[in-house]
Amino acid sequence: MRTSTTTRLTLRTVALAYLLVLLAVPIALILWRTFGAGIMPFLESVRTPAAIAALNLSLLIVAIVVPVNVVFGITTAIALVRWRFPGRGLMQAVVDLPFAVSPIVVGVSLIMLWGVHGWFGGVESLGFKVIFGLPGMVLATLFVTLPFVVREVEPVLHEIGTDQEQAAATLGASTWQTFWRITLPAIRWGLTYGVVLTIARALGEFGAVIMVSSGFPGVSQTLTLLVHSRYIDDHNTYGAYAAASLLMGLALLTLLGMTLLDRKRSTS
Amino acid sequence: MITVTAARKNYGDFAALDDVGLEIPAGSLTALLGPSGSGKSTLLRSIAGLETLDAGRIDIDGRDVTAVPPQRRGIGFVFQHYAAFKHMTVRDNVAFGLTIRKRPRREVDKRVDELLEIVGLGGFQHRYPAQLSGGQRQRMALARALAVDPQVLLLDEPFGALDAKVRADLRRWLRRLHDEVHVTTVLVTHDQEEALDVSDRIAVLNAGRIEQVGSPDELYEQPANDFVMSFLGSVANIGGTMVRPHDIVLERESGVSLVTDAHPAPTRVRATVERIVRLGFEVRVDLVNDANGDRFAAQVTRAVSDDLGLEPGETVHACVPAAATRRGTAGESLAV
Repeated sequence: MRTSTTTRLTLRTVALAYLLVLLAVPIALILWRTFGAGIMPFLESVRTPAAIAALNLSLLIVAIVVPVNVVFGITTAIALVRWRFPGRGLMQAVVDLPFAVSPIVVGVSLIMLWGVHGWFGGVESLGFKVIFGLPGMVLATLFVTLPFVVREVEPVLHEIGTDQEQAAATLGASTWQTFWRITLPAIRWGLTYGVVLTIARALGEFGAVIMVSSGFPGVSQTLTLLVHSRYIDDHNTYGAYAAASLLMGLALLTLLGMTLLDRKRSTS
Repeated sequence: MITVTAARKNYGDFAALDDVGLEIPAGSLTALLGPSGSGKSTLLRSIAGLETLDAGRIDIDGRDVTAVPPQRRGIGFVFQHYAAFKHMTVRDNVAFGLTIRKRPRREVDKRVDELLEIVGLGGFQHRYPAQLSGGQRQRMALARALAVDPQVLLLDEPFGALDAKVRADLRRWLRRLHDEVHVTTVLVTHDQEEALDVSDRIAVLNAGRIEQVGSPDELYEQPANDFVMSFLGSVANIGGTMVRPHDIVLERESGVSLVTDAHPAPTRVRATVERIVRLGFEVRVDLVNDANGDRFAAQVTRAVSDDLGLEPGETVHACVPAAATRRGTAGESLAV
């Protein structure tokens, strides 16, 4: 289809303006507010004990959530693609649930489940604090990031089919050897995308985490919670901008990593 | 030697294998030939252990392997779509089975180089499958299957995804390879020409059953029934008699045959020439039986066609020598 020059230019302008207003302007504004007075105030603001603790907590949650999602994501994807079992359709729907359910609802339901009066509330009397502790935040983040690895690995598994795995079997490879030597290398790019998306989402999660965190600075604040509390509770606008910039920087690093991997993939 | 006894396999209501028994002699190259859905691939995959039989048993070289997983059946398998390990080099693909068996690196390298030389891929060690043509990929897959010294080599429509020219080259090459390596080989194909060209024994399958087993000549010359006859080579139906198109003798209405034919012709029908197709040396004459309107084709040499000087619309007599008509009659003892 050929479009006239006028139409093309109009479409381009509209799309650009849309992206500018909705994405570029807010981000530029935060960066400008953060670095407008130079880099020193920024460094000072993100070097406070509370900020360092928040960064560490966010990274710790990522470090726990990513391996768990990798193991269960691959297993789930293999089950959905390769196995035929009753309830498979239900499982397909359940995997997408985190996309549909608002994170704040996830937080509330976790409290109802694991809180003192919840079904599993008993564990708290055993000295294992889920809600208002790290386990709660990890559970909340796991919930919202669950679909990413599954949904990225699944189409790749479909695409590669079972021929290579069967060939490996006829050549003497056990199921485990086949998985490590054939299946895993074949799905590695899908898996990488899934991990990148998981990291980005785990870093940025707010709604579910704020419900289950006690929110003490330096103890149970993630980076997103730090931004929130600095802005709302401390009226420390600059501190909020600085923390937000740090958060954005991490997300950009993740995206950059993905782009570099993508380039490596297309050349290999 | 592979022995399949009373093999059954159902997919739901569909019987892929219906009481199949087959003996494949050691060192032979046997083709499993049949239309799609005839069970030939299921039979091959059952021998490999990639499918589990519902009933029956499979022996390889006297060992009951019915319950043995594919890893320990001593087989090599080649897939229609190559099943190349895309993330590995040609060298690593071929070395896979040996690496799994933890053979020393030097021995692996030597064996891989040797096999790549045999399949004509010497010097391709460091390429990736994506950098090979279809024919090269399939030869790599063959080297990979042969690397582990299988007792039997199983090929599932190995040339099905290749174009006609490469396919013909590769199957002749496979035949020569088999003459050198002598490993018992089973090849699945739906292409009768391929089966006739490459194998020394053919088993014709239809609807989950084996119709006939024999040498290509036996099957062509003495088909057990109409199915085998029509599946192996082309066939013409003249007033209910099945004959090979090249056995039909065409005569002008004058009654003087232009082909010297000493035999009496019990089958003789009047037919109208519909179309004349020149296929190089051969000429196919499409005819319509005047008696019942059936269409059939006769195959003659170019010389015969030129002598007859046939034109579309002309009427000829199509005659079939007695020896040729007896061939395809189901259930009868076969032609002399």
